[in-house]
Amino acid sequence: MNRSDAEQEISRIRDAIDRVDEVIVRLLNQRAKYAIEIGEIKGVLGLPIYAPEREKDVLHHVEKTCEGPLDAATMRRLFERIIDESRSVERRAAKER
Amino acid sequence: MVIVMEKHTAEGNIERVMSELIARGYDVHRSTGSEQTVLGVVGDVAKLDTREFELYDGVQEVVRISEPYKLVGRTFKREKTIVRAHGVEIGGTEVIIMAGPCTIENEQQVFETARRVARAGARVLRGGAYKPRTSPYAFQGMGVEGLKLLRAAADENHMATVSEVMEISQIEGMLPYVDILQVGARNMQNFNLLTALGQARTPVLLKRGMSATIQEWLLAAEYIMNGGNYDVILCERGIRTFETYTRNTLDISAIPVIDKLSHLPIIADPSHAVGRRDKVMPLARAIVAAGADGVLIEVHNDPEKAVCDGPQSLDPDQFARLMDELRIIVPAVGRRL
Repeated sequence: MNRSDAEQEISRIRDAIDRVDEVIVRLLNQRAKYAIEIGEIKGVLGLPIYAPEREKDVLHHVEKTCEGPLDAATMRRLFERIIDESRSVERRAAKER
Repeated sequence: MVIVMEKHTAEGNIERVMSELIARGYDVHRSTGSEQTVLGVVGDVAKLDTREFELYDGVQEVVRISEPYKLVGRTFKREKTIVRAHGVEIGGTEVIIMAGPCTIENEQQVFETARRVARAGARVLRGGAYKPRTSPYAFQGMGVEGLKLLRAAADENHMATVSEVMEISQIEGMLPYVDILQVGARNMQNFNLLTALGQARTPVLLKRGMSATIQEWLLAAEYIMNGGNYDVILCERGIRTFETYTRNTLDISAIPVIDKLSHLPIIADPSHAVGRRDKVMPLARAIVAAGADGVLIEVHNDPEKAVCDGPQSLDPDQFARLMDELRIIVPAVGRRL
């Protein structure tokens, strides 16, 4: 592969990454919508926002579903941040209700 | 705020800490490592007592990242505050020298001292009317009559005035005569007084308590600003150390530290720090060289006969010589006098 081919290839792959990111963002927002719904319900029922058992299940489920090349621990770390933000979204939904 | 959990602590311990934080309305960013978990706490953590969470099982350390103060900090306001008092700007490019006697004793003493220090370049006239004396038998001050003399002597020489307020009931009576209300080191944590001064719209000069940390000092200033009075000048005046040769140790390093942490003007008082006339001049030079916005200095027209703090007061000739020296130093630190 010569230099200009390589540069073209990098740019092609980066474009592909951008497309994937768009899908991830759409899916994260889809996930957040569910979190908002749950937050509203928790608000009505007076349930705590933090549900450690459920968080454990989510992480376990994610690890089990993960087929690589990212390993399970990496996927778990990524989802810890997603869960952190979901809690925050749920809290706001529970309050605004 | 960051909470570091102990290595290999039980999941239940982490959950207990998280539950408590989340129940109190904080967002938690959990980061699970291979051995250790770290919890980032997001929200208004100024109200949190770190010790409370250090007591939880499985917690190794609680680290505060943000400062407990807000209004006094550079994060709140990046540019330096300039306090304006009777036409004098403290915190600008000019280094402001505040000079005068420890205590107002009589008309002749105040007018004579004012004339001499003004001629040498002082912009603010200091003088105590209410004195916090270590002994109840020592001279307690002239009160309002003294303040009238201070005002008249300052007006005659186009100076602003600074005088110490000891208690809330004195504030109103002082306002007609005093341009800057000084809070002494002993009152730095008199929170009722600070709150009352927060309601005033007159600049406050807040001295550092003799055993106060910089953080405690800034929190004291926060009390005043929290009431809406944003014109606060901080004044370093020496702290208690193991050294007995000097009365207090002037913490020169507080000057650049405050300048980094806070937008408020910082000045220093070498007279009370050392308590000896022969050490006042070198310290005053160091204060200006360190970048202070001003110097508060005791000058008496006849120190040998002073009712109070004579040994630490300069006479007018010594003061004039000091001013000449300071004029050589100020350009080196990008200021003027």
